[in-house]
Amino acid sequence: MTKSVPTGKLGRSGVAGKAFLKVGGKQLTHLAKRPFLSESACRKHQQALDDDTARILFKAFSQLRGTALKIAQLLSMETHLLPESLRRELSKSYHQVPPLGRPLVRKVIQQAFGASPEAVFSGFDFKAFAAASLGQVHAARNGHKEDLAVKLQYPGIDVTIDNDMQLVRLLVKRTRYARLLLSSLDEIEQRLREEVDYRLEADNTEWFQHHLSLRNVTIPQVHRDLSSRRVLTTTCLGGEHLEQWLRQNPTQQSRDHFGQLLYDVFVNSFYGLHALHADPNPGNYLFTEEGTLGLLDFGCVRYFSAEFVTLMPKLLRAYMDQDAQAIIAAYQQFGMVSNMSDEALQAFYDKVLQPFGDWLTKPFKSGRFNFAGHSVSYTKEGWESFRQLAGVNKIDGLADEFIYFDRTFFGLYQIFERMGATVNMEHRWLV
Amino acid sequence: MKVSKQEKAKTRKRILQAASDVIIEKGFKSASMREIARRAKVGDATIYNYFATKEKLLYHYCERKQDEVAEALKQIEDFHEYSLQEQLQQLAETELALWLPDREFLAEVFELTFYSSLAGNVNLAGTRKRFKRMVEDMIDAAIEAGEIPDQPYRELLAPLYWDYFIGILAYWLKDDSADHADTTQLIDRSVEIIAMVLHTGMIGKTLDLLSFLFRSRIYRHLEILEERGSPWQKAKRRFMGGDDD
Repeated sequence: MTKSVPTGKLGRSGVAGKAFLKVGGKQLTHLAKRPFLSESACRKHQQALDDDTARILFKAFSQLRGTALKIAQLLSMETHLLPESLRRELSKSYHQVPPLGRPLVRKVIQQAFGASPEAVFSGFDFKAFAAASLGQVHAARNGHKEDLAVKLQYPGIDVTIDNDMQLVRLLVKRTRYARLLLSSLDEIEQRLREEVDYRLEADNTEWFQHHLSLRNVTIPQVHRDLSSRRVLTTTCLGGEHLEQWLRQNPTQQSRDHFGQLLYDVFVNSFYGLHALHADPNPGNYLFTEEGTLGLLDFGCVRYFSAEFVTLMPKLLRAYMDQDAQAIIAAYQQFGMVSNMSDEALQAFYDKVLQPFGDWLTKPFKSGRFNFAGHSVSYTKEGWESFRQLAGVNKIDGLADEFIYFDRTFFGLYQIFERMGATVNMEHRWLV
Repeated sequence: MKVSKQEKAKTRKRILQAASDVIIEKGFKSASMREIARRAKVGDATIYNYFATKEKLLYHYCERKQDEVAEALKQIEDFHEYSLQEQLQQLAETELALWLPDREFLAEVFELTFYSSLAGNVNLAGTRKRFKRMVEDMIDAAIEAGEIPDQPYRELLAPLYWDYFIGILAYWLKDDSADHADTTQLIDRSVEIIAMVLHTGMIGKTLDLLSFLFRSRIYRHLEILEERGSPWQKAKRRFMGGDDD
């Protein structure tokens, strides 16, 4: 057997307990050493300790796999506690729940519709063709010979989320980051809860289908009669995922075309609809030969307040003009730097904001920006300042929106780089 | 009036269903044969032609359930293409699905059999036999097809799976998670282990090991006994021998 996921709550607590001991041990060593260290050495030591703590914690999570790993991934994205290398490692790990065999597939369908898969669909492939977050996707056909994608959720995943949230909370409670981590966890739990209710995803999918009308962008059609809390049936969009598509060595024209489409989807969703359909994860897009872009997975749609949507272009404008006053004013409106002294503000601007702004506006200034062909990749160049910015204490919800927005932007840039696309970033939305 | 065989079977079925309903409502002790008869629309005396006692009703109901489970499994068209693991899991899941409307009834059965007297176990023999037959059939088919190696002590496997499944049922009866999802996960994970044990012929190997240890132990013990010759360390003193003064 290749997988060794400790499944029972006891087994999972065992893993958590071990991590607990380790973290505790590290803290003790630090306390023992502290009296003998100079102040700066002490601080340095504390920093190393914190990094160690984060490492141990996240290692423990990834041993739990399943939902705990997913929580850990979200947490690492949310808090930026981990060094980039580890964060990337974590995001690559497989947060797959065990696959559903035929008896369970049968059971989930039976529970949802009171009939067997054969009776509900005119064709149903018991072998899943894709993994979904917390479930898997099957190909099927309905009476009208329409190709469908049926997403099924592993039974009892909500109970597992409860247990895992408890465990993770227990783990982080004793660390120095407790306050930050715990508040992020609340948000993550909320998001996971939404994600396991497929009816919400059905609502979101339909909402986007009604409101986002962009040429060459397709959104699957929900079949309400074949959907429930744990089953989501939609039309099956053709096309390939990013990596598959890239393997066929698409032309530069095609790369640019899709890059532009992705960018347009982003701008239109944000400015037109005040919503973003998902994290920019390569798995959420389908590329077709005909040049249409399919959007998948509306499980974690993020909505933005009108206030934020109007503030954002102002901030970008200020960055373009290198207007320190306006930039700081915007951040103050986001509630991010409100309790800083003037000197501290100036230092913050020089150290964090200005480099970030230079980096951020580079593509905007050049009109068409080529994401390929930089000796140091564009996102890598901006990562440090981006990280510092995201690490600023959040004070209210607006700041949350800001961080999420930035992260989406960043993820999108990474995809452009992967695609090697040149994208026209000239803003229709820049005031 | 002559009653056809078919009609008899129908009436039997009706009585069993009525028994389940009444027992769920009132509990086994307070359920009366008379009420069951009325619910099934048969005469107060007629019911005894079908079932001599209330207990018999209970156990026959369990037997009928097994027939229904077997029937439901036969209805799955590609069931013979399932792996042994999937088949065993499907068996357990189908049992639960069909027991679900009678969950309280099943709780009564457990109360009367596993939780109290040994007599129940004897009475459930018919049910066990039907269940075992299904499991044996699955295992035999898997061995014939070369999916798993031939199993030593093969006749032990079906009874073991029965015992396992009784445990699952007991867990299920106490499972208060939504849609009994905990039981679903328990089955999913435990059947995987069972299938692994069968695939590797682990049962035979474990029993071989045990019997080896057992024999070598016993053998050594026998040697020690022989060495001793006399069970006593030395001769006993005479009775009252030290009591001279």
